Amino acid sequence: MTENKNKKPSLTDWQQLATKELRGKPLSDLDRATYEDITTKPLYTSQDLEGIEHHQSLPGFEPFLRGPRATMYAGRPWTIRQYAGFSTAKDSNAFYKKNLAAGQQGLSVAFDLATHRGYDSDHPRVIGDIGAAGVAIDSVEDMKILFKDIPLDKVSVSMTMNGAVLPVMAGFIVAAQESGVAIEQLNGTLQNDILKEFMVRNTYIFPPAPSIRIVSDIIGFTAQNMPKFNPISISGYHMQEAGATAVQELAFTIADGLEYVRTAIDRGMQVDDFAPRLSFFFGIGMDFFMEIAKLRAARLLWSQLMEEKFSPKDPRSKMLRTHCQTSGVSLTASDPYNNIMRTTIEAMASVLGGTQSLHTNAFDEALALPSEFSAHIARNTQIVLQEETGITRVVDPLGGSYYVEALTNEIATKARALILEVEELGGMTKAVQEDMPKRRIEEAAALRQARIDRGEEVIVGVNKYLHDDGNEIDVLSVDNAQVREAQIERLTQIKNTRDNKACQKALNALKTGAENDANLLELSIEATRARASVGEITATLEQVFGRYKAINSTISGVYGSVYEGDEEFEKIKVEIDRFAVETGRRPRMLIVKMGQDGHDRGARVIATAYADLGFDIDIGPLFQTPAEAVRQAIENDVHMIGISSLAAGHKMLVPALMDELKQQEASDILVICGGVIPPKDHQQLLDIGVAAIYGPGTNIPKAAREMIQMIKQNATT
Amino acid sequence: MEPLANGILSGNRRALSKAITLVESTRSDHRQQADDLLARLMPHTGNSFRIGITGSPGVGKSTFIEAIGETIIARGQKLAVLAIDPSSARSGGSILGDKTRMESLTQNERAYIRPTPAGKTLGGVARRSFETMLLCEATGFDVVMVETVGVGQSETRVADMTDMFLLLLSPGGGDELQGIKRGIIELADLLIVNKADGTQEALAKKTASDYRNALKLLRPRHATWSPPVATCSALEGTGIADLWNSISKYRQFVENNDVHDPQRRKQMRTWMWSQISEGLIEALYKEKTMADLISKTEENVYEGRLPASTAANRLLQTFLGIEK
Repeated sequence: MTENKNKKPSLTDWQQLATKELRGKPLSDLDRATYEDITTKPLYTSQDLEGIEHHQSLPGFEPFLRGPRATMYAGRPWTIRQYAGFSTAKDSNAFYKKNLAAGQQGLSVAFDLATHRGYDSDHPRVIGDIGAAGVAIDSVEDMKILFKDIPLDKVSVSMTMNGAVLPVMAGFIVAAQESGVAIEQLNGTLQNDILKEFMVRNTYIFPPAPSIRIVSDIIGFTAQNMPKFNPISISGYHMQEAGATAVQELAFTIADGLEYVRTAIDRGMQVDDFAPRLSFFFGIGMDFFMEIAKLRAARLLWSQLMEEKFSPKDPRSKMLRTHCQTSGVSLTASDPYNNIMRTTIEAMASVLGGTQSLHTNAFDEALALPSEFSAHIARNTQIVLQEETGITRVVDPLGGSYYVEALTNEIATKARALILEVEELGGMTKAVQEDMPKRRIEEAAALRQARIDRGEEVIVGVNKYLHDDGNEIDVLSVDNAQVREAQIERLTQIKNTRDNKACQKALNALKTGAENDANLLELSIEATRARASVGEITATLEQVFGRYKAINSTISGVYGSVYEGDEEFEKIKVEIDRFAVETGRRPRMLIVKMGQDGHDRGARVIATAYADLGFDIDIGPLFQTPAEAVRQAIENDVHMIGISSLAAGHKMLVPALMDELKQQEASDILVICGGVIPPKDHQQLLDIGVAAIYGPGTNIPKAAREMIQMIKQNATT
Repeated sequence: MEPLANGILSGNRRALSKAITLVESTRSDHRQQADDLLARLMPHTGNSFRIGITGSPGVGKSTFIEAIGETIIARGQKLAVLAIDPSSARSGGSILGDKTRMESLTQNERAYIRPTPAGKTLGGVARRSFETMLLCEATGFDVVMVETVGVGQSETRVADMTDMFLLLLSPGGGDELQGIKRGIIELADLLIVNKADGTQEALAKKTASDYRNALKLLRPRHATWSPPVATCSALEGTGIADLWNSISKYRQFVENNDVHDPQRRKQMRTWMWSQISEGLIEALYKEKTMADLISKTEENVYEGRLPASTAANRLLQTFLGIEK
């Protein structure tokens, strides 16, 4: 250094030095545009904080940017809350008890998709779903088994339930009461965030308006009877999983929250009676500082917007408390041990962002539901962070960082603009009805998928540093059919032994209550006590509200636009054009989602991508049965059926579809599978005639070329 | 083609689907097979009521078809729906998402839904849809609906090949009146303002009355039929039964007033001509000696060196062997 020792180097000095290091290239070469449309610079200084005030605030005080509690983890670390459900209530119960003994502080229940959608296990539409992605619950008797010997007055219970919230929450309450725990002692969280279901996850049952009413009925009931219970967990997680950017996730989640508050107030509640018990749930992906900034910005925005819109008196009404989960989509099926590192990094971001509780994913979740071994590693990831790293010693340790504070501010500003857009449409219910959030998220997802396929975004082991040692890891598998039989047996037994008259009377009261303005949770509790099943309660409400059918607009062009001018991409398009000339039409593929698995991001991104390549793509309705899918394939005379499966339903549904094709004499239609399918199931699927299996991280243009070959070969044999 | 024809006549869904693929194929040998098939089936066609439906994207066409389709089926009839989806101009591919919005029809044994990518030539779509309609009739469907997105000239074509043409509208005042081409309104035999539910109900009624007024200034398609304007909510199912009554009334009207047969005869003539024009264009493209001239002339027009009309004339004259 040749500078004068007394003179402090200025920003200009740094710029000169930096340019020199870059050997003449402009400094702006180091700027990076993120998916959020935020441009990061290589250096942040105090100048970037000019005009920003919030970082001067203190934790525990408004706007809570630095944390909702004054002492944060220095006082008590975050709650380790692992989400899990194993097929049957009995297995899940054993798993929960073991985890509680191993240091987990709260438990979190994953239900199977049949339960989510309000079907009993004996319903013909859900054959492939029973016990596949979580625990099957048909009645309060299942609930009692689920929580057997777990002290519900002490352990907090989080339930991921949105569609069938009424019978499930009622089952939880009645099970607790019948085991001697008073209702006011119960603590935990119900997800109960139906708006996001209409945007991304699709495990809704009723149309938006009655669904929102149910949410506010539950908020009203808990405000009166369950002071320690969080009646809703306003969730951005599933948006991120569906491909939302950090700004979209934040904005749509906060806008959902505002909508729930508005609905509750409209139904006659006082904001301070319920707002302090609203909780949030965010997903945390690999963009480390972005995620930290997102959580800080979330607290800032919630505090500001609650003040602006509802002027609560209780500061806790403006305090955003959140659960976080590390990202599921960031996990890869190839080289899966890398996922342990990914999860660790995401867990750190959650903690540095100041989460109140955390779920860390198991490394094999891109392949199957977690095994006992992978769940153990996932939990220990958090214990190591809490007890070995010293991270918990200081509140908001990144507070005051030029970069993190500037980024927090930028995310908050961008999210606020998007929230305003939603509010101008008339709030989230309206925006959802117009399909706006879903379309935006899909555009972001398609863009990202294209960038990954082009290698512009690096995913180690997927599009760079590929590594295949041939070792397969042991994953959990579920015997669907057996679980289903056991469930049906118990259900039949309950129906045979209950007082049917009393049960019917309670269901009638529920129906009348739905037609009028009664609190539906109260009535569902009575029906549940009378041994009405989850399916019966739902069917009763369905008579009044109807079952919702999704609007499904699709986007196009986003995926292809990233490949603008790409030689390889153009080549495949030419190949497809040639195929069209040779055979008289374009390759036509039906993309189906069977069973109750509503995660359609993968299916929809793929639809867009293949259409942009020149395929004609048919999309089946959600929740199809194998027979319905085959009928559609036949009617549309497609070359190929692409099955997207993410929730372990493939073992029963794919063979059922192959059988149906055979029965309809349509086995000439090719079948391929995509999504989360454990490698050890591949051979079995190939044996029954599946032509190919494409897991997460498949390069779409490459797969398209293979598919064209398959179709051509199939036509000649 | 005999097995396929027999399959269709016995009401086989798979046979119908394969036949539609054949009709839609761009290959000339397929074209010939399709002609052969249609010739065999002609005596068994003509028995359905043919309805064309159009409306801007987002107006709720699929939801509407689902609702009215249920009514039709409930009355014991069989319904085929042919949905024409726009293709992406850039890739040529398309996403055909219609069935996702007609969930209950897709599960009904008496319904058949076939989405078709529009492809690049609009005229071709009309020819293929017309032939597909005939195939559906031979399979035994009582009502055939052809749905198009209201974006351009395909409406005229669809109106030209159906017995009745429905225009679906959203609640919302004059803006849309301006947006929809007057020509399309003139084609409609029945106008329907959908989404008359919840907070939009009053607006829908007002929109309907606006259209009623506007229609007074237009010339109706048939001198003795003034197109009614109705409201409905396909989502909630209100007004749907009444609409089916209006449709049936129109059907009676055309059949009793000697409108039906001449219209159908005219349509057959149109079909012939659309085949001719399509065949000519195809022949022009396929003529190897023309390829060079076509690409040169195209370039000249593109670069502004040659007026389009001169270029077209020159190409036609060369192709047809007419010397100046």
